[in-house]
Amino acid sequence: MRIVVAVKQILNPAGVVVNLRREMIFVNREEYILGPADKCALEVALQWKEAAGAEVVAVSLGPARADDALREALAMGADAAYHLHDPAFDQADIAVAARALAAATRRLEPVDLVLVGDRSDDTGAGQVGPRLAEALGLPQVTGAYQVRPADGAAEVVRRWQGRFARVWVPLPAVVAVAAGAVKPRYPHGARIMNAYRQWQVARWSAADLGLTEEDLRPLAVYRGQAFPPAPEVGEMVRGEPAEAARELWNILKSQKLV
Amino acid sequence: MDFSYLETLLEEELGPVEEVGEGYRNVWVLAEAAEGRLAPHTLEVMGKARELADSLGVYLYAVLLGHGVSGLAQGLVAYGADKVLVVDAPALEPYQPEVFCHALATLVEEKRPEILLLSASDLGNDLAPRLAQRLRTGLLSHCLDLAVDMAERLLIGTGPAMGGRYFELYVCPEARPQIATVEPGQFRIPYEDPYRSGELEAVDLPLEGVAGRLTWEEVDAPFAPPPEPLSKARVIVAGGRGMGDAESFRLLGALAEALGGQVAGSRGAVDEGWIDEARQVGVANPPVAPRLYLACGISGSVFHCFGMQDTEFLVAINADPEAPIFKVANVGVVGDAKAIVRELLALARGEG
Repeated sequence: MRIVVAVKQILNPAGVVVNLRREMIFVNREEYILGPADKCALEVALQWKEAAGAEVVAVSLGPARADDALREALAMGADAAYHLHDPAFDQADIAVAARALAAATRRLEPVDLVLVGDRSDDTGAGQVGPRLAEALGLPQVTGAYQVRPADGAAEVVRRWQGRFARVWVPLPAVVAVAAGAVKPRYPHGARIMNAYRQWQVARWSAADLGLTEEDLRPLAVYRGQAFPPAPEVGEMVRGEPAEAARELWNILKSQKLV
Repeated sequence: MDFSYLETLLEEELGPVEEVGEGYRNVWVLAEAAEGRLAPHTLEVMGKARELADSLGVYLYAVLLGHGVSGLAQGLVAYGADKVLVVDAPALEPYQPEVFCHALATLVEEKRPEILLLSASDLGNDLAPRLAQRLRTGLLSHCLDLAVDMAERLLIGTGPAMGGRYFELYVCPEARPQIATVEPGQFRIPYEDPYRSGELEAVDLPLEGVAGRLTWEEVDAPFAPPPEPLSKARVIVAGGRGMGDAESFRLLGALAEALGGQVAGSRGAVDEGWIDEARQVGVANPPVAPRLYLACGISGSVFHCFGMQDTEFLVAINADPEAPIFKVANVGVVGDAKAIVRELLALARGEG
């Protein structure tokens, strides 16, 4: 039983401050973290490993600094880590990343379960899970809050149209775990030391994965940024409670805050 | 004489024969049914899609997939569709990503729309990326706004970046169709026109080749996301001593729930025992940075303001017009916080 967990290193949004009036983005604290949803996916894999036994493999596509994210995964309890790193990936969009992760998963065959984070905190596109499932020809479940082994299948409690639903998906499958679904563990200090001193992170390039130029061509093209309108300052509302509340409510609605 | 060089010359002048997007026309919307009716988030997408189709000068198609959904097709015409493609098959109930993906991909490859919009609902978020990968095209996901660059007939999608702190614009110039998912709640539901006419087409798709592999079971529990820490809440309703008593303070909890946010308090409220210390905003706890912060009966000490200085939109409700919090508030309401909160709660519940 082998579980592949695709993780991504992201810039911590908490260190990013946006000045709406000047339409500028400031990075106050440049801190790179393992995505919260990805961390939950890893925790789900580790819990599966404890319950039913499995080999947990962490895979990440990213620049050289993504190495830290993989070592954090090793410290948390992953058995092996692979870093998909190549200058050819610098321009990669989500479709390219999904193809690279799919190629890596194929190299790791036999794989019984692929876990990813449902939505990352930086782009929040939530595309990797279904794209990976399609590239591998596997069934998929997204928005998962509980994942349990169930006799050749995974039993998943998922978010579905305002309710919870229980879904069984036969393995192998791709499951996207929602952020906050489980509480990721803190790695033991000795494991953190080992992750840097003893254990290895293997590197695979685009050529190792057999990706062609066509596979590496990004389709989504960045077209600039925009800002929500800066709120007006200092407006005062007076009057009877009912009127004042109504006026305040209208302001909140016009700002799309409620 | 040999004129073959002429052909070569002509080819060079004319450039490449086939352009990107050649043969791709019309705007499509994937319609979702919920409890026997058209889902409200689908209708929101219909309104925006109608605008895009009008500015591009093309037809708006709605695609309805499911079992026993044919009766809803006319409703889509009333909300702006020129044509409705209905695939009504037992294999399409319950939702199976692989079957839906196959059905929609088959329709797209046959009829070639230039734009395909889905709602960023649980279904749309599950299906759209898979479909985009199948069709080898890009996906602009969780769009808050959509526009069209008329020169190149490009769909421009505005999506959230860095957890919604600002927006990023993306396009997909080199592949068709251009697919986007639209975040629910962004657009108005258009007016229903029951006299609008449009064409309905029942499409017979062979779906036997693909089998859905998921087994579904309804769980009788409404979805409630796990509690998030106060520092990550998008809406915070905070109260201070000005709320008067514990019973009035409880109104804030109800208001927070109605607005999908969390309740917090100032030092004063904690001292009165109205709220737990963990929910105090100030220097003692991690700072909060919500999109909306409602300060009710809080005068706004330096420490309190420090704890919430990253708030995007600050509303202060206080009886004292000289309270320091009005100096930093985006909107200040002078009046009895208790009474105003009670009115706000009625408004929030009335519209929720």
